[in-house]
Amino acid sequence: MSELDFPRLVSPDLRENVTGGPAGSRASSTSGHWSPSLVLPLVPYFLFVGLFLAMPTVVLFTKAFRPVTGSTTSAMVEAMSTSNRSSFIFSLKLSLYSAILGALIGFLFALAATRIERPRRLRNLVTGFSGVAANLGGIPLAFAFIASLGAQGLFTRILYHNGLDLYGNGFKIYDFWGIVVVYLYFQIPLMLLVMLPAIDGLRPTWREAAINIGASPFQYWRRVGLPILTPSLLGGTLLLFANAFSAYATAYALSSGGSRLVPVQIRFYLQGNTITGKGNLGYALAAWMVLILLFVMTGYLLLRRRAERWRTA
Amino acid sequence: MNKRRTTWEWPVIIVVGAFFIVPMLAMTRFAMQRVPMSLLGRKTILSRWTIRGLMNTISDDKFQPAFLLSVRLGVVTVLVVLALLLPTVLWLHLRAVQWKMVAEVVSLLAYVVPPIALVVGVSGAYRDTVPWIVSSNYGLVPLYVILCLPFAYRTLDVGFAALDLHTLVNASRSLGASWQQTFRKVLIPNLWTAILTTSFLAFAVVMGEFAISSLLLKRTLPTYMVEAQGREPQGAMGVALLLLVLTTVLFMVLGRIQKKSPTSSSQEIRITP
Repeated sequence: MSELDFPRLVSPDLRENVTGGPAGSRASSTSGHWSPSLVLPLVPYFLFVGLFLAMPTVVLFTKAFRPVTGSTTSAMVEAMSTSNRSSFIFSLKLSLYSAILGALIGFLFALAATRIERPRRLRNLVTGFSGVAANLGGIPLAFAFIASLGAQGLFTRILYHNGLDLYGNGFKIYDFWGIVVVYLYFQIPLMLLVMLPAIDGLRPTWREAAINIGASPFQYWRRVGLPILTPSLLGGTLLLFANAFSAYATAYALSSGGSRLVPVQIRFYLQGNTITGKGNLGYALAAWMVLILLFVMTGYLLLRRRAERWRTA
Repeated sequence: MNKRRTTWEWPVIIVVGAFFIVPMLAMTRFAMQRVPMSLLGRKTILSRWTIRGLMNTISDDKFQPAFLLSVRLGVVTVLVVLALLLPTVLWLHLRAVQWKMVAEVVSLLAYVVPPIALVVGVSGAYRDTVPWIVSSNYGLVPLYVILCLPFAYRTLDVGFAALDLHTLVNASRSLGASWQQTFRKVLIPNLWTAILTTSFLAFAVVMGEFAISSLLLKRTLPTYMVEAQGREPQGAMGVALLLLVLTTVLFMVLGRIQKKSPTSSSQEIRITP
């Protein structure tokens, strides 16, 4: 970059552009968007995302709409009409249960952590730990739960000696409820991280005002606290749902590759595609996943924007 | 406000806390104690603790290449993420403010395409034209960069937003520094926390990534662990424990750095792949 650019940096009209004020004299708003000197440095970023995210997604959808060998209906339709539908129902139900449970427990956990004042370090400990646990997942998490809640797990054994035979009652770590419990390990901390800023955003003055005009703590929560937190709670639940729905490694390792979850089914179709000619079905399942996640994440972003309304200082 | 006695808070903390600690204890025992579960009791709880299983696995021929591959992929991914995003986010804050919304939404798209769909799409798109991406080990890097994009973009975005960028750049440039010098001596030191946060998170993601590397049949650390689980369960458990400890230490160091820095970025939220 040449030294000639320098005077432009200090010119006041650029400042105006930056702070979101009226467009300066330098460029009208349309040509300002597309002028080469402005856009050129952004090309690598958009090109990278285009090549490795957009392009693969487009290919995914084109293949998903083609029919499976020996059939005339599009794979997208077939993916929903056969036994795969039960896979989707299984995955969606699992994500829903783990999201709702994770959201409830995570919210209570966050609330408890903010209300306890005595050891000051508790809150830091909880947040620090949540940062780690929310990012955990994958193979080590599955292993940890095999060691504790597997058929020969430590916790299974402790419960057994105390008169509760988990496996005798049909519990399996790689079945529905097993996976839900394992997912809670990263869902609860993620919810805590979502809710802490929201709970901190509840100003003490609101509570005092409510109490002063005669509200009980219950009425305060019912009429003020919860309504304000609702967008965050719903948004957090959606985020947790998306998180569970796209997870793969943990369930795969828990079940040694035999789970009914959609991602594991996708692997099955793509590995067998040369023999069965059903490769397009794998693309279709993946495409359906993208559509569902698009729907959920849009909801999350809208709710997040709604939640931030109360958070202006 | 008047002081209340806490009632339900401690039970919640303790129960949830136990839920988080028990699996770690069980994992440690599984990895390091050679007592069958059926014989475990008060008398045997302290006997036969050993790290032989872990040692056996670490000295296994296949462990080291897998571990080193994951480390190398992690380092390269971090470098590519920074090389791609630092100039971009700088430019977005400095000049191309109109493009910030678009760039942010684009970075979030990776949340919509789960790793399994990403790898399926990439192999569908490039298997015949650019087979390198599917066949080579380092072909994983672009996919990992995409995985890191949402949180990396946001962390750097918050980092840049905390700076008085125009004043810094103007001061540096008016003192005669070149763009390169401005970048190296002014911007990077000021963004150190954001850069470290991004790097640590990206590295941790790559070290634990399983879906993509397993579908492309790469021998990374997580795929090795799954494979070793059948042969040497105790050793595989030990390696998983080691990875957990490594991640935790990484995050603790990160927490320290963030606390020290005046412009500490907000808690970052990321989706686990």
